Amino acid sequence: MDSPVIQVRDLVVEYGSGQKRNRAVQGISFSVADGECVGFIGANGAGKSTTMKTMMGFLFPTSGDVRLFGEPAGTAESRIRVGYLPEVSLYYPFMKAKELLELYGGLSGLSRAELKKRIPPLLERVGLGGKADVLLKNFSKGMQQRLGIAQAIIADPELLIFDELSSGLDPVGRHDLRDVLLDLKKRGRTIFFSSHELSEVETLCDRVIMIHKGRIVTEARVADLMKPLNIFEIAFSLPAGEPPAALAQLGAQRDGAGWRASIADASLYARAVALLAEHGATITSTATRTRSLEDYFIELVRRDEAAAGA
Amino acid sequence: MNAAWLIAKSVLIEAMRRREIYAIVLVSTVIIGAVFTVDFFGLEGIVKFYREIALQVMSVATSLTVVVLAARQLPREFENRTIYPLLAKPVSRARFLTGKLLGVMLAAAFCFGLFMSVYLAGALYLGGGIPWALFAQYVYLQMLQFLVLATLAFWLSMLMNLDAAITLGALFMATSSVVSNAMVFVYDFVAPPAQVVLRVLNVAVPHLELFDLSEKAVHSELEMGGVRQQFWQPLGLDTMLSLTLYGGVFAAVYFGCALWCFRRRAL
Repeated sequence: MDSPVIQVRDLVVEYGSGQKRNRAVQGISFSVADGECVGFIGANGAGKSTTMKTMMGFLFPTSGDVRLFGEPAGTAESRIRVGYLPEVSLYYPFMKAKELLELYGGLSGLSRAELKKRIPPLLERVGLGGKADVLLKNFSKGMQQRLGIAQAIIADPELLIFDELSSGLDPVGRHDLRDVLLDLKKRGRTIFFSSHELSEVETLCDRVIMIHKGRIVTEARVADLMKPLNIFEIAFSLPAGEPPAALAQLGAQRDGAGWRASIADASLYARAVALLAEHGATITSTATRTRSLEDYFIELVRRDEAAAGA
Repeated sequence: MNAAWLIAKSVLIEAMRRREIYAIVLVSTVIIGAVFTVDFFGLEGIVKFYREIALQVMSVATSLTVVVLAARQLPREFENRTIYPLLAKPVSRARFLTGKLLGVMLAAAFCFGLFMSVYLAGALYLGGGIPWALFAQYVYLQMLQFLVLATLAFWLSMLMNLDAAITLGALFMATSSVVSNAMVFVYDFVAPPAQVVLRVLNVAVPHLELFDLSEKAVHSELEMGGVRQQFWQPLGLDTMLSLTLYGGVFAAVYFGCALWCFRRRAL
């Protein structure tokens, strides 16, 4: 079996010292295989950026081990095949777009001739065609983000690590970026990214890793995760007006003149219908609604917070 | 392409496009130009006065530029987060810092080059000849001084915030020779334990005045009995090598300390 492209083992990262010590990442482990597209999801302060910065060698693990392509994180060797987009993309305001890409491409080992060939189509690809000679101080936030994506993929790296993928991009920019990523995915590149746009994660990823308060709370294939996210909704009316105690387990809520129950577990659906028939309810409609990854994530976070508060 | 060179080029581009260097050169030129309004020295006097003032102003202005430029390289990278995409490339922190230093030195050379053009234009206009060999040595030693100051500013910027690093670097630059002279002066008048401290300081703190040949370059020729004589000869090769070694050791130590701090720093 091939060794994973990303390997994180028992990673702990702490900030500060003494009483101000804050454990941002609390012993997480995961791996990403070659050609996978993995979304790294979490609320603000969950530990996403800290984990990604540790992968790139910007932060040092308090304990645990992080490897890229089998090389320890932080070494120049580990970054040869990596393209990275930081959380906030700001670039030298006194440089032109073309000069900046020459700098990053050159640092990635591309020759001058290669850069001359690659830069114009790359700028076109990220929607910055015709901006090669514009000073970056005149770039908007979205344009800087597009340029950030260009610098990350200029050397056609095998692994892409994007921290807050679509930050600062408008809907058109997000759409363009999605196309770029789908193309990279099709070409077998490994992609690991964090994003608050969970629809993006649903569309692009094979797998998601959810992190909350420095701990991984879910790690699953998107297809598997979406299966239990189907919700069966039953609208019904009751002869007595109020549901009897036996129906309380359905968690029905008033909906106009009738009632509506949402059942997340498919195996309980038939039982719920039987229960309603038993109590003389008239089923007026049934529907299947798919919960989004966002619903699932919010529910997971709330559950975790409630458990912590209990 | 070499990573250090690419980073150096970006530093130079920024230094040239920010226009601060041009402003410094312009203001200094106005100060130097004011010398021409002085008319109580006679021609021989004004030539020397011009050279002395011009070389001093150029040295101080470029040194200050170097301190500011070097001190802000790393803090600005951290503050603007431009360091992340750079260090995400296969570039070691050592090579990154080397590139930054090279860039600062290129910017210093550019700034000093502009000053030299102004100086030489003025000197040629006033006449009196230029001691080229001594002048070349002066330029070389000044560059060595800028190297020491740049590495010191890098190190200071890793130890404290940007404002403090610039202030301390500038203070060191301005007072180095005064403090060095004062240390020699008070040595015989202090208690033995303090003498030990002074000795340590004497070795540990670079004597920037050693890199200043301006006095020799200005007063290289004297007119004695109506005959112009070469008063100061260019320094010998052994002296130049010793000074190079002296400056090089300080620069290497400061750079090493800056790199040590930078390598351990979480970004």
